[in-house]
This record gives sequence, C-alpha cells and structure tokens, in this order.
Amino acid sequence: MPSTRVLAQASVLLVPLLSLASPGWLKLNGMEPAWAVLWLLPWALVEDRLSALFAALTLGLLLDALHPGPVSLLPGLLLLAWWWSGLGRRRPPRNSLILGLLALLGTALLDLTLLLQWMLQSWRVGEAMPPLAEGMASSSPLLPLAGPEAAMLAEPLWHRRDLLLTGTPMLLAQTLITALLAPMLCSLLLLLWRQPGGGGRSG
Amino acid sequence: MAPVRWQRLGLLTAAERSWPALLLLLALVAIRLSKGAMLTDLYGLLSRPFWPGTAQGEWLRQAQTLGDHLRLEQLERENRRLRSLLGLSAAAGSSLPAPVISRRSTGWWQLLTLGRGSLQGVRPGAAVIAPGGLIGLVSSVTPTTATVRLLTDPGSRVGVWLGRSRHNGLLTGLGTGRPVLRFLEKDPDARPGDVVYTSPASSVVPPNLPVGVIQTLDEAADPAPEALVQLSAPVDAVDWVQVLRP
Repeated sequence: MPSTRVLAQASVLLVPLLSLASPGWLKLNGMEPAWAVLWLLPWALVEDRLSALFAALTLGLLLDALHPGPVSLLPGLLLLAWWWSGLGRRRPPRNSLILGLLALLGTALLDLTLLLQWMLQSWRVGEAMPPLAEGMASSSPLLPLAGPEAAMLAEPLWHRRDLLLTGTPMLLAQTLITALLAPMLCSLLLLLWRQPGGGGRSG
Repeated sequence: MAPVRWQRLGLLTAAERSWPALLLLLALVAIRLSKGAMLTDLYGLLSRPFWPGTAQGEWLRQAQTLGDHLRLEQLERENRRLRSLLGLSAAAGSSLPAPVISRRSTGWWQLLTLGRGSLQGVRPGAAVIAPGGLIGLVSSVTPTTATVRLLTDPGSRVGVWLGRSRHNGLLTGLGTGRPVLRFLEKDPDARPGDVVYTSPASSVVPPNLPVGVIQTLDEAADPAPEALVQLSAPVDAVDWVQVLRP
C-alpha cells in the first residue's frame, strides 16, 4: 500500500519534532535519547543501502537545521546508515538485545563524530592563532605577565579541555538512554516496517 | 522645750502637705532634662487616632516612584548620548515578550526556541532576558520563530565585567549549567559573590545587564583566573522571555 509507505517515510519528521519537544521525563543526566539513531536503525535494517543513506541525509539535514553549528550530524548518520544497511542485507538482527547493542554503539559513534569535529575545529583555530600574547615578542620579559588572547577566547568553539571534561559524561548518558529505549522502540518500528506494505523493501 | 516640739511638728506637717508638689517639680525637671521625652511620647499616644492615613504615604511613594522614573529616563538618555559619542553599542531599547516553545537547555547544543520571529521584529544577535537577567542571544530567526543560543551553550561567548571591580572577561558556555568566566587580566580582583554584568565595552550585547554571580574562583588557572558563574535567570523555569530590540 503506497499510503502506508508514505506514512513510514513521513515518520522521519517525528525525529526533529521530538528533538524540539525534548521531553524532560525522558532524559538521563540532562541528555535526551538520540532520536535519529532510534529511527535510522530499523529503517536501515529493512531498507536497501541507497534508501538508508538517503534517509540519513534527510535526517542529518533536518537536525542540522535546528542547531547553530559549526559541527554536523551528517557524517555520523551516513556512517551508521552504511553500516546498518549492510547488516540488514546479510543477516537482519531479530533479537531486541542486539538492537539495543547496535543502538548503543551507533549513538557512541554518532557522538564521537561530533566530538571529533569539535576537536578538529579547536585544533585548527589553535593553529591559526598566534601562540603568544598579542603584540608581544617571544623573548619579551612581560610575556609571563600577559593575560590570555581575547581573540582566542572569543572563538565560539568548544575548547579541548572543556570538551573532555563535559563531553564525555554527555556521550555516556546519551548512549545509555538510547540503548535502553532501543529494544522497545526499534522492535516496534521493525515490526511495522517489515509487514507487507509496511514501508520496508519487498523481497 | 515645748516651742521646739511645736516647730518640728509644723515642719513635718508642711512637708506632708507639699510632697505632691515636690514630686511634680521633680517630674518637670526630669522632662526638662530629657528634652521633653515623656511629654512628646504622651502626645504621640494621645494623638495617634488623628495621624495622617496610609493614603498620604501612598501618594508620597507614588510621587517618589515618578521622580525616580523620570530621573532614570534622563540618565538613560544621557547614557545613550555618551555611548553614541564613544561609538559603543547602545543600551537596549524596547523589548518584545516571547513565549518559549521549545527548550533544549541540556545536551550538545543548548537552545531555546521562541514563538516570535522576524515578522515581529526579532533579529539575529538580539539579547534575550528572563526575570533575573540575560540568558542568551538570538542565533537565527524564521518568520515566526527565533532560536536562542543560551549562555551555557559551548559556542556562546559574551563580554562581561564585574560590577564591583570593573574587570572584564569573557563568559564562555561549557555545556553544563554554569558557564565559566575567563578573565582578561592576571589579577581581576574577583571573589565569590561578585555580580557579573554585560560589559559596556561589548559591541554584541547591551551594557550592564545582570548575568549571574560568581560561585567559585580558580585563581591558579592558566593563563588567567577563571570563575564559574551561576546564572541569575532560571533558564529551566521560564516560559516567557523578553527579546531586546536595539
């Protein structure tokens, strides 16, 4: 039934809507589940690779539109779509625990791509900025008395030190809450999309 | 001996008769020495039913408020004029109330979505305040919504200064509930409890908006001291905010 297929495709809109709604009762240490992972995992398992990649692209563009940047969810989502669609082609997982494990690894991978992008940005800006206090020669005796460079501080980036201190607990919390929800939500979506005319690929 | 006895009896009788007058005299002296304390107290007690009513006090307070308001307006005008002469960012003009329709105050990005957009005059970069002080800046707008990057977002940078010591720094979001204030000087003369305001030197935010209070101070931080700031506006509780229009 084409209408059911359209509904399944349109359900991708639930991901940004849930991200915006951000229900407070579904958070762990302030982190909400990775809704994109919870939707993409069953979709990539029932669809072919091209469709999974297209879904990842759609999700990435929708979610990137909701935050100011400069990092993107696209690389992580494309990587997950590639991996999971390959799994679905060979031997689709049927066990809920396996789904939970896949969601756990997927969320960790997605968050790691974000952290990596922030690290790269921070490193690039650090390289571009002069390492000394502004306007002072490296031999200046006043250099140890100088404060930090305002330009460096003003860069709207997540600095490496802060990233490790706060990013790691955030990654762990999101990974855990997503893995806890995945067996229930992904199993349900898999059941819906694997039905004949339920949105998954035929054959 | 009889006349002496009669004389003594006469004195005693006179003293017995005049003791109320002596007491009265003593009381008058006491009143005089105490600058009329008991007298005015007595007058206050007796006249209490006839004291001016609360209405007169209310009129006075209203007049005082009006006077303060006019004085504030005058000072703001003067401040705007001086800031324009110095080429600094103008103080905030009017404000637009906006409902919070989505709150993502924790996570990788810390944002609010407001139910007012470019059609209502919201522009990117506008400061957003809640009861208590500044909470963030508008990062993007659509015709009917605006996204606010909170001060706690890792990408947020706002120039601030301390109200007491007037030392400048940059308030940097860490992704946690409390942003860090990185000072630009080695000795910022800061201590826990100092109130943090937006800097008058900032070209991004209106000056002297309250931001928060220094909670802890790390004086050993390199290259300059750092302080964790507790924001004064409760971001997780506000349902309506004010968008400042320049």
